[in-house]
Amino acid sequence: MSALSLKTYGMLAEFGTPADIFEAAMRCRDAGFSKWDVYTPFPIHGMDEAMGLRKSPVGWFTFCGGFTGFFSGMTMIWYMNGFDYPLVVGGKPLFTPLYAFPVSYELTILLSAFGTLFGMFFLNRLPKFYNPLFKNLRFRKATDDRYFIVIESADPKFSVEATRAFLTDSCHATAVELVED
Amino acid sequence: MNPALRISNNWMAFFAIAALFLTARLFGAEHTDSHPVANAVEHAGHGHDHGSAAESVSQFSLKQIAHSYLTAYMFTLSLCVGCLFLSLAHHLFDAGWSASIRRVTDTISSLLFPWMTFLVFPIIGFAWHGDLYGWFYTDPASDHSLDVKKVLFNRETFSVLLPGVIALLGLVGGTLRKWSVAQDKDGAAHWTSKSRKLAAGGIFLFAFGTTLVCFFLMKSLQHQFFSTMYGVYYFAGSVWVTLITLYILTMYLSQPGKPLEKVYFKRQQQDLAVLFFAFTVFYAYIHFSQYFLIWNAALPEETFWYVLREVGSWKWVGMTIIFGHFFVPFLLLLNQDIKRNMAVMVPVAVWAWLMHYLDMTYNVMPVLHPAGLKLTFWDPLLWIAMVSILGALFRRKYQTAAPYPLRDPRLNEAVTHHEVPTSAARSASASTH
Repeated sequence: MSALSLKTYGMLAEFGTPADIFEAAMRCRDAGFSKWDVYTPFPIHGMDEAMGLRKSPVGWFTFCGGFTGFFSGMTMIWYMNGFDYPLVVGGKPLFTPLYAFPVSYELTILLSAFGTLFGMFFLNRLPKFYNPLFKNLRFRKATDDRYFIVIESADPKFSVEATRAFLTDSCHATAVELVED
Repeated sequence: MNPALRISNNWMAFFAIAALFLTARLFGAEHTDSHPVANAVEHAGHGHDHGSAAESVSQFSLKQIAHSYLTAYMFTLSLCVGCLFLSLAHHLFDAGWSASIRRVTDTISSLLFPWMTFLVFPIIGFAWHGDLYGWFYTDPASDHSLDVKKVLFNRETFSVLLPGVIALLGLVGGTLRKWSVAQDKDGAAHWTSKSRKLAAGGIFLFAFGTTLVCFFLMKSLQHQFFSTMYGVYYFAGSVWVTLITLYILTMYLSQPGKPLEKVYFKRQQQDLAVLFFAFTVFYAYIHFSQYFLIWNAALPEETFWYVLREVGSWKWVGMTIIFGHFFVPFLLLLNQDIKRNMAVMVPVAVWAWLMHYLDMTYNVMPVLHPAGLKLTFWDPLLWIAMVSILGALFRRKYQTAAPYPLRDPRLNEAVTHHEVPTSAARSASASTH
C-alpha cells in the first residue's frame, strides 16, 4: 500500500519546552492556519492569546441556562402555589418572589451548570470516542514532557510538503511527522 | 509640599470639623431632652407610632450630627476593615497575585490604629450625651431585651471595648505592614511565615472584632433587634466597597510613571473585579438571608427592624439597595470583558460608593427619621470630610515606605501572574530548561 493512498489526519510537530511551543503557536497563528491545536502536559498561561483564540462563547450557554432556571423556578412556584392550588402557608401571601427566591436561585445555579457543561460539550463536539492522534506513539508524550502542535489536513492552507517545511524551519520543531487517519 | 505642611493640613481638617460641631451645638440650643432617641426606638419596637418627637429633629441638633457622623464613620471603617481582611486573606491563602497591592491594603488597614480609633471617640461622646443609643440611659430592669444584653450593652463596656477592639484590629494591620517593611530591608523569609501565623489568629480576631464593632456602633441603635447575620452583612458590604475602591486606586497607582507601574497589570485588576463580582453576590446572599429568615419566622422582636424600614421613602431606599447594590452590578459584571472596561468600571465604582453609603444610611438613619429618608448637609459634609481625612492619612503613610513589598517571595509570581511572557522572560525560561 503506497503512502499516497492513505488518508492523512494532519502534521504532528514536537517541541521540547513551553517557550518553544509558545513561539511556534504564535507563528502558526500568524501563518493563518485555522484547523490546528496545541497539546501540552499542563496549561500554559497566555497560550490562548498566542494561538489567537477568540473568547469562548460558552458563557452564553451558561447565561441562557441561568435565565431559564430563575424564571422557570418563579413560574413553577407561582403556578403551583398561587394559581393551580392556592394554599395559605403560615399566613404568608399565596405568591411572593421572596419565598420563591431560594428555589429559583438553586435552579439558576443548576441550569447554569448544565448550560456550561452541555454547552461546552456541544461546542467541542463531544463526546468523541476516537481521535487518530491516539494511535500515534510519539503523541503519548503529550501527557508527559513533550509539547505538540497538530495542523490538520482539513485546513485549507495545509499541504504535506509546505507544512512540514514550515513546522521544521520556521517553528523549529524537534520532530515532525505525518499522522494517518 | 513639605511633610510638616501636609500634617498641618490634616489637623486643619480635624479643627474644621470640631468647629462645625461647636457651631451646631450653639444652633442646637433648643435641644433639652438628654436621651430622646430611646423614644423612637421603643415605639418602633412596639410596631406603632414612630416617635413624633424624633420626626421633628432639627438639622442643627447634635442628634442629627451624631447620626450623620456615625454613618460616615461606618462607611470609612468599611474601607479599613475591608483592607485588613484582604491582607489577612493574602497571607492565609499564601496568595501570589495580590503581593503587588499588599502595601496598599496594609497601609489602609493600619490606619485603624490610631486614626480610626481616635475618630470613634466623638461617637462615644455623642452616646454619653444621649444623642445616639437609646439603651445608654435605659434601666435594664425596665427593658427585658436590654436586660438580657446588658453584658455588652452597658456604658462602661461600650466605652472601653469599642475603641479597644478597633485599636487591636489596627495593631494587627499595622504589625503586618511593619513586618512587610522590615522584609524590604533584609529580604528574610521568616517575615512571611510570621505574618502567616499572625493572620491565622488575626482572622478570628477580625471576625469577632468586626462583628462586635458593628453590633456596638450600628446594631445597638435598636438594641431590641436580633440577627446573627448582622456582622457578616456589614463585613460583606465592607469588602465589596473596598474591592472596587482598590480597583480604582491601584489603577491610578499603576499608570505610567506611578509606583506600581512595573508590578501591577491588567490580570490582577481583573482579579479584583472578579472578587468584587463575587462579593456582589455574597452581599446579596447574606442580606437576603437575614431578611428572609426574619420574614419567614415573623417574630415581632426581629420584624420591627424591617417594619420601620418599610415606612415612607425607606421602602424605596430598600428597593434601591436591592436593585442598585445587587441586580445592576451583578448583571453588568457578568461579562468578563466589562471587568477591564474603564468606561464601565469607573461609573460602577462611583455607584458602589453611593450604594454602600445608602446601605449605611439605611441602617442608621431610620432611627432618627422614621418617616422617611431625610438627607441634611451634614451627611455629604461629614462623609466627604472623613473619607478625605482617611485619604490624606493614607497618602502620607503610603509614602513613608516602598510602594509595594520589594522583596516579598511572592512578588515574582504576582508580576508574571497569567501574563503572556515577554520575549525576555521566555528566553530566560528556555535557558533554564
